[in-house]
Formats: sequence, C-alpha cells, structure tokens
Amino acid sequence: MRKLLAVIRREYIQRVRSRFFMVMTVMGPVIMLLFTVVPSYLARIKAGGPTRIAVVDESAKLYDRFRDALMTERAEDETESQQNAPAPQVNSNQQERMKRTAQFSEQGYTLERVDRAGKSLEDIKRQLSERVRKSELDAYVIIPSDILTNGKAQFYGRNTGDVFTRETVAGRLSIAVRDVRLAEEHVPPNVVNELNRKVTLSSTKVSAGGEEQDSGGGFSVVFGFGLIIYITTLLYGQMILGAVIEEKETRIAEILFSSIRSFPLLLGKLVGVSLVALTQLGIWSLAFVLFALYGVGAVAAQGVPISLPHIPAMMFVYFGLYFLLGYFLYATIYALIGSMVTTAQEGGQLSTPVVMLLVGGLFLAFPVIRSPNSSLAFWASMFPFFAPITMLVRIVTETPPLWQIALSLAIGFATAVGLIWLASRIYRVGMLMTGKKASIPEVWRWVRKA
Amino acid sequence: MDDTKPTLVLEHVTKRYGEFTAVNDLSLQVRPGRVFGLIGPNGAGKTTTIRMIVNIIIPDSGSIALFGQQMTSALQDRIGYLPEERGLYKKMKIGEQLRFFAELKGLRGKEADERIDNWLRKLQLSDWKEKRTKELSKGMQQKVQFITAVIHNPDLVILDEPFSGLDPVNVDLMKETILEQKAAGKTIILSTHQMEIAEKLCDDVCMINRAHKVLDGRLREIRRSFSRNAVALQINGGDGFLNDPALVANIRQNGDDFEVLLVPGANPQTLLKRLVDAGVDVTKFELVEPSLHDIFIEKAREAA
Repeated sequence: MRKLLAVIRREYIQRVRSRFFMVMTVMGPVIMLLFTVVPSYLARIKAGGPTRIAVVDESAKLYDRFRDALMTERAEDETESQQNAPAPQVNSNQQERMKRTAQFSEQGYTLERVDRAGKSLEDIKRQLSERVRKSELDAYVIIPSDILTNGKAQFYGRNTGDVFTRETVAGRLSIAVRDVRLAEEHVPPNVVNELNRKVTLSSTKVSAGGEEQDSGGGFSVVFGFGLIIYITTLLYGQMILGAVIEEKETRIAEILFSSIRSFPLLLGKLVGVSLVALTQLGIWSLAFVLFALYGVGAVAAQGVPISLPHIPAMMFVYFGLYFLLGYFLYATIYALIGSMVTTAQEGGQLSTPVVMLLVGGLFLAFPVIRSPNSSLAFWASMFPFFAPITMLVRIVTETPPLWQIALSLAIGFATAVGLIWLASRIYRVGMLMTGKKASIPEVWRWVRKA
Repeated sequence: MDDTKPTLVLEHVTKRYGEFTAVNDLSLQVRPGRVFGLIGPNGAGKTTTIRMIVNIIIPDSGSIALFGQQMTSALQDRIGYLPEERGLYKKMKIGEQLRFFAELKGLRGKEADERIDNWLRKLQLSDWKEKRTKELSKGMQQKVQFITAVIHNPDLVILDEPFSGLDPVNVDLMKETILEQKAAGKTIILSTHQMEIAEKLCDDVCMINRAHKVLDGRLREIRRSFSRNAVALQINGGDGFLNDPALVANIRQNGDDFEVLLVPGANPQTLLKRLVDAGVDVTKFELVEPSLHDIFIEKAREAA
C-alpha cells in the first residue's frame, strides 16, 4: 500500500510540475475555443464581401418583396432556432430587424434592380453576363412575367457551385411569390402575417417523478458529456501510454520489479495520471464555471431572461460515476497497449481500436435516444465500453430501473480492474523483454506464465 | 563449507524460455558476510539467475530460499539490486529519485533523507542532488544507481557489473565501498567480467556456462585445485636444461620470462636443483597459481 502511494505520488508530482502540464492547462481552453467557436464562425463568414445579384423583374411586382425577404433572412432563421426564447419581442421589434438587415447586407447580398428600358431580354442578358464575366456582378436572376402562375425563374451565376446563394434565392423568391399571390387574392397584410406565424413547441418530460419542464437540454448535455470523455481519453490516454512505456525505454523496469509487484505498480501509474487529469479538468471546469457565471451575470444584467437547463442533482452523481468509469476503462486499454509495446510510436499505432470503441459508443447513442427501452439499448448500456455514453443517454431519456444502472456500473468497474490485472501480467513479462515486438500468442503465453 | 546458515540457497533451479533453457538444474549456496562471485561468459544464464533471486521471474522448477524462507515479495525489501541494465528517470532530480526508490523499498521520512545525504556525500555526489539525471556523466549515474541498491540497508546486495563505465579512481572507490558493506556483515553477490577485480574481492566463486554450473567453491581452493604445476622463471643462460620431457611438459617464452609447465607429479624442486647445479643464474623462480582469468578461459573453452 505504501509502495502504491509512492508510485502514485511520483507520477502525480512529476507530471503536474512539468512544463508540458502548465502549458496545456493554460492552452487547453484556448484550443477548445479554437475548435468550437472558430469553425462555426468560419462557416458563417463569406470571404470576399457581399454577393452582388442583379434582378430583372419582368412581372414588375416581385422585386420589393424579394429584396425584403432576402434582407430579412437572418432574422427569420434566428426566430426559427429560438423556439423557446421569448420570441415575439424579436419579431415585433422593427427597429431591431432593420439593424439586423443592415448588418446582414454588409456581408450577405446586395441587390440591384435592372430596368429593361426598352431593350430586349436577350440584350439585357448579354449585358449582365458580360458584367458577371468582368466580376462586376456575381449573379443575376430573371423573373419572368408569368412567374405567379408558372412558378419558374432563372438564375445565372459565375459560381453555380455556391449552393447557399442558389438555395437562398430560390427560398426567398418563393416567399415573395407566395406573398404576392396572397395579396392578389386580397388577403390583408395582417392576415398574411398571421398565416405565416410559426408554431413553437414546448416539450415536457413525463417521468415517474411527475411532469417537468424539459427543453431537451438533456440530450445536448449527454452529447457534451460523451465528447468530454472522448477528448479526455484521447488527451490523457497518450499520457498513460507514455507513463507505462517510460520504464521500458529507460530500463528502470528491473529495479522496479525487484521492489514492487506489477499490479500495484500499474495501478499506481494509472491513478497517478488520472489524478493529473482530474486536476487539469478541475482547473478547466473551475475556469469555465467562473467564466460562465460572469457571462450569465453580464447577460442577465442587460435584462435578458436566461433559463438554464434543469438537471436534477442525482444526474450529477451519475455523470460523475460514468465519467470515472469511462475514463478508467479507456485508460486501462491504453495501459494494456503500453504493456505490450516497447516504444510510444508502436503504442500510437495500436490505439486505433480505442478511438473506434469511443466513436461506436457515440454512434449508438442515436438509436438509444429514439428507443431507450429497447433490447439494443439495454445491451449497449451493459457493454462496458459503451455504457458511459449509452447508459447516460438512457438515464436522461427514460431512466431505467436502478438495478440496471448498478449492474452496468459493476460490469464496467470489474472490467477495468480485470484489464489492469491482465495488463500487469503482460507488463511484467513484456517489460523485461525489451527490443522484441510481441505477437498475440506470445502475449497470451506471458499472461499464463507470469 | 561453513556451519553458518547460508543466506541464499538455490536448489535444482531451472528456467526455460520456450525451447531455450537459460538456467539448468542450478544449485548453489551463498554464505553470509562473504562476497560471492557469479561469473560466466555472456549468455551463460547469470542475469536470469539473478532475476530469479530477486523475484522478478519465477523458476520453472526448483526452489530458492532467502534467509531460510521461501522467496516472497516481502523479502524483496531485504535485497539491494544493481541490475546490469542501468536506468534512472531522466527528468527527475537525483535527490527525488533516490527518495522514490527508497520508498519503494519501504523506507521513508527523515531516515530516508538522512541516508540519501550520507550516501551522496560518501560517493562525492552531494553537489548533484538537485540536478537531473541527464545532466550527470555516465559514471555519476552509475554511482547514483549503486546508491539505489544499498539505500535501504539490505542484508543481501546483488551487483551486476558494478564497475562498468567507471574511471580507475571510481573503481577503487566502488571496491572500497563494497568491502565496507562486507565488513558491515552484508552478503554480496558480484557478477562481473572483470576477473582481476573479482579475484581481489571475491571469497567464493561460482561459474556458470551454458546454463550449467561448471565451478563452485572458495576462490582459494579453486585456484589451488587448478594449479597446473607451473613455474615462472627468469634465467640467464642455459635454457637447454629445460628440454627434458620427463620433467617439463611445455614452455612458453616472453622475452626473458619463461613459463614452464611441469609434467603432472613432477616436483618443482627438482627443476630448481637442476638449474642451480648447472650454474644457471636464476633471478626469478615462482610457483604460479592460475589466475581467475585463466581458469575462466579454460573452463569456457572446455565447454565449447
């Protein structure tokens, strides 16, 4: 026991004090930010300024409405995604809408109305095509006079691969056409507005404890959780691999084995590195909570009502348990790999199955969400390597009976201990045979012989 | 052999790796307070034997008893081991490193710190306590490694090639330290290829070749038993007297020096008398006991 503590202490102190740890602790959140915020930001911006579109409106009725529809695009999209937010505010606030429109047109579209001025359509087209070629325009749209009955228009552009623009033009034009049709049937504008109003769906979870308001935040929490396990495992799995291989590469193995049995040695390494991981995650989550509190406070101070997803306290306990389980299981696989190989490079090649198991768990979460009580869901949540994600999905959706949760935890932790035991046997024999790559039958012999 | 209870007893120990037999039916005894030399050519099975003694690997058959008990992991704390494959944590400071190894041997607290300081002083490494391994020379690392083997004051110290990589000054320092350990009543198993050093340090010797024991006993007795009736001679004039097949079996000449091997059973005094009677100027006449080096080579050749 004392020796185990000595191993844990060494692993922990050496790693926490290393420059790598400090750099990672500071850089971690920055990298996280880069990976989450930047891609979504990149997807939104369009390089090279607004798309310039010319419109030839032969119907003479559609241009204004098309322009309005196109310019208010973002406002509409945001209302759609904010079903749960106090939406009417946004819709009715015209000023706000104008502001958004202005902002949108800056990087979105600029429209230009083309007057035929007596010229033939062919001449106009030639003229516009020439401008497109000269890059004075990006695209032009011909709205024929019979569009209200025929429902067809033409899009000419330099970059027809820009699906976004084409789709947007088609969508907005449809809205414009629909509005004009309604107006021609003398439907009053306020009725049109009324007809166009979208439905908001508020969802309520029915569970044993009664009804409770649930906006579906549970799913995103579980997925976020799955991602955290995924990232943590990948991040610290390599560290565990390194820790296990360290003594092989430095040939300290013999001294260690002349002093301590391989099981406490391996367990000590695993626990030591895990504590490093928890320390780092602790620092990160503390920073995150502080940041979030500050952010929420700042937003709330501006009078925006904020509803945090409601998560029962018991859920945190389950999160904690399954996080530990997930982390430990995958960490032991890395330890097992480490015990078989002699260099970190070899270990890296062998760790692909770990990633596949992790991704498998995340994929299985989808069918499990849809039918959390199916037998597929049951078995997926009993299989130790999927349980951390699938069982949590079940708990969040339709909480399964307690015995199932207990069973999956028991299977999981037993598997982890079994893997450590297995790894420690391979570790012991494999460590003294440096320089030789182990084949599977050989490893099996080690297990039986050690 | 003495009546004192042996520190270590190996009985019919065998270890195989697949088809290959690393150690075959090896029996030996190591008596307390003595330096026991374990010698043999490369690949003879020395390291495997040592690994079995320190309980890193378990013999396929046979038994190993240490201090009168069957080997257990608890007994490991009473052994100090300097393996042939040296290894220290590269990035750890020397002081911390020694502290860790001491803790692995069940030592802790102030006592550990004091011993570490004492040993560092003794081996002239005090200034390096706060340095990392990679900043040390090979010889220094070697000495640090030696400290890890003795820090917990073990009753049995096993040293595998403790002199490799040391300069002559440090070789002497190491020899001195080993003899001090012996004087303190420790039992020492020394495995080395440096026969001159083994010759000076060892009380008992066991030689292994090709997994088998080929030699075992007190060094003095072994050397006597190997005495081939050889005489080292330095003479001026008249080496013709040596050409007597009834007396001399073989002559080797190095400049003025002769090494004369007498026929079995012949008396060296007869040779001396003959030389003196003939008026040959004898400047050196020495009965030669074979060196451990010679014995080693002879035994190794025998097996080949």
